[in-house]
Amino acid sequence: MRIVVRRGLTVPLKGAPASRVDRDIVPSRIGLLGDDLGHRRVEPLVEPGQPVLAGTPVLRDRADPDLLFCAPLSGRVERIETGRRRRLAALVIAADGEDQRRAFDVSRADDAWGLRALLLEAGQWPALRARPFERIAAPRTSPAAVFVTAIDTAPHAPDPRPLIQERGDHFARGLAAVRLLTDGPVFLCQAPGPPLSTGDAQLRVVDCAGPHPAGLVGTHIARLWLPRRGEVVWHIDYQDLIAIGHLLATGRIDPFRIVALSGPGSRDPRLVRAPQGADLHALVGPDAASGAKVILSGPVLAGRESAFLGRYHRQVTVLDRPPPRRTHWLLDALRQARRPAPFIPTQSLERTLGSTAPVVPLLRALSIGDVEAATRLGCLHLAEEDLALATYVTGGQTDFGRRLRAVLDHLEREA
Amino acid sequence: MRGGVWHRDTLAWLIVAATLPAAAGAIAGFGVAALEAMVWTLLAALGWQLVFLWTRAQPVSPIAVATAFAVGVLAAGDFQPWQMLLAASFGIVLGEQIFGGWGRNIINPAVATLAFLYFAFPATPVPTGGAPLALAVVPGALMLLVTGVLSWQLLLATLVGVMATSLAMDQAAGAVLSQGSALFGLVFLAGDPVASSATRPGRWFQGALAGVLLVLFGWHDGVFDGPRAVVLATLVASLFAPLIDAAVIAATIRSWRPPDA
Repeated sequence: MRIVVRRGLTVPLKGAPASRVDRDIVPSRIGLLGDDLGHRRVEPLVEPGQPVLAGTPVLRDRADPDLLFCAPLSGRVERIETGRRRRLAALVIAADGEDQRRAFDVSRADDAWGLRALLLEAGQWPALRARPFERIAAPRTSPAAVFVTAIDTAPHAPDPRPLIQERGDHFARGLAAVRLLTDGPVFLCQAPGPPLSTGDAQLRVVDCAGPHPAGLVGTHIARLWLPRRGEVVWHIDYQDLIAIGHLLATGRIDPFRIVALSGPGSRDPRLVRAPQGADLHALVGPDAASGAKVILSGPVLAGRESAFLGRYHRQVTVLDRPPPRRTHWLLDALRQARRPAPFIPTQSLERTLGSTAPVVPLLRALSIGDVEAATRLGCLHLAEEDLALATYVTGGQTDFGRRLRAVLDHLEREA
Repeated sequence: MRGGVWHRDTLAWLIVAATLPAAAGAIAGFGVAALEAMVWTLLAALGWQLVFLWTRAQPVSPIAVATAFAVGVLAAGDFQPWQMLLAASFGIVLGEQIFGGWGRNIINPAVATLAFLYFAFPATPVPTGGAPLALAVVPGALMLLVTGVLSWQLLLATLVGVMATSLAMDQAAGAVLSQGSALFGLVFLAGDPVASSATRPGRWFQGALAGVLLVLFGWHDGVFDGPRAVVLATLVASLFAPLIDAAVIAATIRSWRPPDA
């Protein structure tokens, strides 16, 4: 199968990463972030100061006690930060550098429910996310389809193909495991080229050709399996899939991810092997060019400023921090009186969405918070990352990702 | 970094820059009347922008300059100042500000202003620019096409509409397109990115509609009246844009995976 995104948009950015992988990173500190949990409320299972192994559960979901979040590295819990509305902001672990990993019993993981139990127990379940709403998949449900994203078209993203080929066994093992989770199809979305796995009736290998939004899972869902009312689809990225394969093969979790460290603010842009939740200041610090910098966890458009690497991010983008602009109260009042300011549709806006959804009507509905129209125009299967290009093209005045989240939150409360 | 350079105000200045040669051409061709029309329209537009900034917190926008230019080019007649102010107030308020400002309007404020002028004061003659004005429109049109502010589909559909209807009516399409006022209206009023159709296929329909109507409205007794025809054609085409969009969206959604098996 093949899908082609004819109209996409490439954002020019300096500092593309070299393709070698730097494996000499010594992690000092890692953080699990509340931002990665979505609407889930979690309770800590550990106290500050307590020693943990890689794979020790440290957080538990309040509504779903089976859903555990595990420490990626061995070390000692440093602090637990509480954020707004008493939600977890970050759980920080100081690594001891010994990399002791807890062993899991993988003998039961041959059937669907045994596999689920293992993924939940080992903290690998949050790798699976569900759409609509882009949340961590609910453990006791089954999706109508699963999307395995083995393509990344964001600027400076690592190329998945060599990373998958290097660990072909674990990838195949993970793919076989994911097939147990659903009775529906499994879509393996890859960049055009030799298939990364042999397809069959359930596993469909899809070549996704074209510029940037071609690699986003929102594009794949819209083109391949638009969820019907009440249907849920899950998606997982290739590195998390490899980690699941590693867990099944060895009985120990694989907390390391290959992350692109790039951007105009980086002196040595390259790929690094870093643990989940790595401390970005420690990671970037030695190689940052001089001057004030912004460190984004994630790609340049959809990333967020963060102290730690996000659970789902495979990129760290270092940008020059723009100098604070001199402002005048009157000019400010004239410029940004009401938010969201109306946007002006241009031709480049048409290139920002990989699906066939009418872009301008959809963005208009989102910017005024018209839930009904946005739903009809296909906002349900989208997430913040899908609208990052639209935000960029309209000059960043309206954060369409946040408007989308507000609409999705409303729909989720109603559902 | 998360926001590109295509800010709302950047686009407004870009459109102003694109209209500038045509505005200069109009002042050179029509004399002081064009300049007066621009000044009165700009004053009214700025006044109403400030009123809406004060009462409804709507951001002011430099697009008012482009609106004033358009009125100056297409209504360089012998209008009284109060007539211009009245028409511009009508156009700015009901065409733009009342919907929430530039970007949320459904018709171009210059079109509303000009339609008001033509209907309320039909006895005042309006000069039609010739080939020099048409030439002055071309660089601005190219600039908007290259930057993607003006949709090439829309412009092409308009030209096809003009040519096909001219052919059917046995008139010369060149006579329409070489008239500066008509060409100016087609590029800057009918091609307005905000008031035109919001969907890609919809722009083909809307552009063709504007082109067909321009030729149909324009010819009277062997004379082509560009300004009135292009304003009315754009007005009707803009009013049809939401209907066209609704049809296109309905067809698009039907082509998706059906919601129930």
